[in-house]
Amino acid sequence: MRAFLAIIRKELLEFLRSYGLFIVVLYSFTLDVYIAGNGINLDARNVSVGVVDYSPGFISNKILSDLHYPQFQEPVFFASQEKLNLAIRNKEIMVGIVFESDFGKRYHTGNNPVLNLLLDSTASAQSYLALNYIQHILMRFQDTLSFAPIEIQIHKLFNPNTSYSHFMALAELLSIITILAVILTAAVFVKEKENGTWDIMLLMPTDAKAVILAKSLSQVIIVMIGTTICVGTVLFGIFDLPINGSLAAFMLLTFFYAFTSAGIGLFIASVARNIMQVAQFSVLIMMPLLFLSGAWTPVYAMHPILECLSIISPLRYYIQGSESVFFRGTALIDLREYFAGVIVLGGVLFWYGFRKIGKLF
Amino acid sequence: MNRLQVREVSVSYRKKTGLKPVSLEATGGEIIGLIGADGAGKSSLMHAIAGIKSFDGEIEFDNHIYRSPKEAEKVKGSIGFMPQGLGLILYEQLGVNEHLDFFADIRGIKQDSAFRVYRERLLHMAGLSDFTERQAGKLSGGMMQKLALICTLLHRPKLLLLDEPTTGVDPLSRMELWDILNDIIAKEKTLCIVSTAYMAEATQMYRVLLFEDGEIIDKGKAGELIEKVRPFSYEAAPEPFENSITIHGYTYSLKPLELKPKEPTLNAVFFINFLKKYGPIPEISIVHKDRDEDVPATIMEAKGLTKRFREFVANDHIDMELNRGEILGLLGANGAGKTTFIKMLLGLLPIDEGELFLLGKRIKSANDRQMLKAKIGYVSQHFALYKGMSVRENLRYFANMHRIEPERTSVLIKEYADTLGFYSYLDALPTDLPMGINQRFSVAAAIMHEPVVLFLDEPTSGVDVVARATFWEMLQKLKEEWNIAILITTHYMGEAEFCDRVVLLRDGKKIADDTVKNLYQIHPDAHNFEDIFLDYYNLN
Repeated sequence: MRAFLAIIRKELLEFLRSYGLFIVVLYSFTLDVYIAGNGINLDARNVSVGVVDYSPGFISNKILSDLHYPQFQEPVFFASQEKLNLAIRNKEIMVGIVFESDFGKRYHTGNNPVLNLLLDSTASAQSYLALNYIQHILMRFQDTLSFAPIEIQIHKLFNPNTSYSHFMALAELLSIITILAVILTAAVFVKEKENGTWDIMLLMPTDAKAVILAKSLSQVIIVMIGTTICVGTVLFGIFDLPINGSLAAFMLLTFFYAFTSAGIGLFIASVARNIMQVAQFSVLIMMPLLFLSGAWTPVYAMHPILECLSIISPLRYYIQGSESVFFRGTALIDLREYFAGVIVLGGVLFWYGFRKIGKLF
Repeated sequence: MNRLQVREVSVSYRKKTGLKPVSLEATGGEIIGLIGADGAGKSSLMHAIAGIKSFDGEIEFDNHIYRSPKEAEKVKGSIGFMPQGLGLILYEQLGVNEHLDFFADIRGIKQDSAFRVYRERLLHMAGLSDFTERQAGKLSGGMMQKLALICTLLHRPKLLLLDEPTTGVDPLSRMELWDILNDIIAKEKTLCIVSTAYMAEATQMYRVLLFEDGEIIDKGKAGELIEKVRPFSYEAAPEPFENSITIHGYTYSLKPLELKPKEPTLNAVFFINFLKKYGPIPEISIVHKDRDEDVPATIMEAKGLTKRFREFVANDHIDMELNRGEILGLLGANGAGKTTFIKMLLGLLPIDEGELFLLGKRIKSANDRQMLKAKIGYVSQHFALYKGMSVRENLRYFANMHRIEPERTSVLIKEYADTLGFYSYLDALPTDLPMGINQRFSVAAAIMHEPVVLFLDEPTSGVDVVARATFWEMLQKLKEEWNIAILITTHYMGEAEFCDRVVLLRDGKKIADDTVKNLYQIHPDAHNFEDIFLDYYNLN
């Protein structure tokens, strides 16, 4: 037991003394999550609009006056459709609107007025959203014509402001936990290989299992402390993220999940010879894991085969579990599915990594 | 003539000075030897001259003056540089011929008949004529180094810079390397600057520069240098004199002593310099330990140990006995199988064939190996310990791993620090320690749990003369005081002198195993151990 604690103390001490690593980890848990929450925005914002108006202008101006900040820039008028086309081609304009000369007349007579929209859909999500906004605006004009106007009442559940920063910041934190738990654990072994202390480590008359477990645990502790800091300062402090469930449940889930990632780290440590290779293997293994997890795309939106595969991604259960805790406020008992997923898959991964690295002892 | 002038050249790295201002003048046909420990400034000077490291000062070669790597471009065509490290410039996957083609192409050599004759001559000299198709990765260490040398010579450089070309190479290949060099220099009038860790080689050079801490402490012909220190060298004194150093059968003193003078070697220059600069070497002692008389005479025994990596046999049925109170030197060139053998003894590599006994008990199961680990002290190559922790924290960590009680640990750390003389460094990080202190502290970390056998893996490579000598003194004292067995691997054949018995490996086979005394008796005309081992190499 003394040897076990000695190893944990040694690893924590070495972590604190390697300033570069310390700062990278601290950055990841604070500024990086902050940037992700604040910076990544898939919303349609500041969309440039170009207009060619062949109609007399009354109704067209009314429509255009609804395209405003923050979604749209002030519309720019073009003399002809050719000039508008050119502007779109040159990326000056994202949305082009052309009003035909008889647009106003047809609108007032109810004779199928046609509005031509030209859309630069390079940034597909943004352009799609912009289109959506415009359709909404037009709908209002249509409503006045129709005899049975339907008013849509929207109730946004779990994330009332549909705030991207809440979602993105949490997703980023979960990704950071995955990446750091893998890399830190792998590095703590590979560093010994690089510094030539590997043999000394093997020659300690301590059980190999205790050495591996102590080394992994020390890194899990670092990740847990980092998570606490991140949740406290960035999520609650800056983004004011509401938590509807129990924080303890989230921390417990994180603890199990950190061991899962550590298992992947152990596997990497058993094959990598230096830190450079650790980085390479990590990217190779983590990418599919992140893709399949639903961190970026909801699982149900994936291809059926990928959806099946995502069942074996522990990150999937971790993300769904964590989002349930924060946004849905799911009770601990109802989180059992996620706990089971993380623990079972994590158990297998950790056991496999443990055996792989154990063979080197 | 190829004239090289180095004027006040100094090299600095981000944190420290690599080389203090140095001036040097040399002409073609000379061999200049650079001698000193790792980090003494030899490589810095070579890199500056080769124009691959920025420096202060001015270098002139072949009537071109350069002050920076950029300005050196114009002379690079006439420079051949071989960096430190076995076969570093070679590509494992390429064959011998392919290497020569490649180096000829990147140097833009016209492949005329004269070149082909020269190329054949180089191949012949290197003894590689019969291996032209073999991949570099499959050559022995000595052959690799010879191939690297002829690749460097291919464009007939006027200035040849070789950074420790012979380190870790077997004695026979080393002689051949020197034959190639001497031959080329005589015919081509090349100016050659060579750094070496072997004093014996330095004696044969035209001129030597002795480096220490980024400074040249002396320079001149080897004979002249030895002449200068002759008045200070004596036969070892039975009792230590004031202000003197007694080591390896010599006593060095700046003041005349009533002792018989002794023929000095180049090593003496380093001791005399140390004496002038710092005075005598501080006395070190070993922590007292109650002798355990129950320990059997034979501590470790290996019978027919064999290790194979696929079809390659790294160790071929090696027998070895390690006795109480004995320093056993395991010698061999790089790739001879020393590391593989020591790893099997340590229980780090599974044994393919053969038996290993510790204290009379056969080591078989994982439990046995755990017992083995508890009884062994191990100092790894380059004294690698945990850089992020201070000396005290490192020692405490090792004590904890060996389950030594915390109160006892504190007492032990103080005792070891006092006797081995690193008390004032206890709270420093290992990277900030002088080499000599680092050695002692590493040994302390390895022996705190009072092992019955101490393994040291190449503890002396790259270490300066004085630190190396004091290190051997410490091992002698440790052996006498504790009566433990010490196994030390080294590729410095000369260090065999300080062992009680030596085992010589070559290509995974044991080719000699005898006490130092016996070896000298069997080979009466050998001047030193280099000669003795050359005999064995020639025989097999």
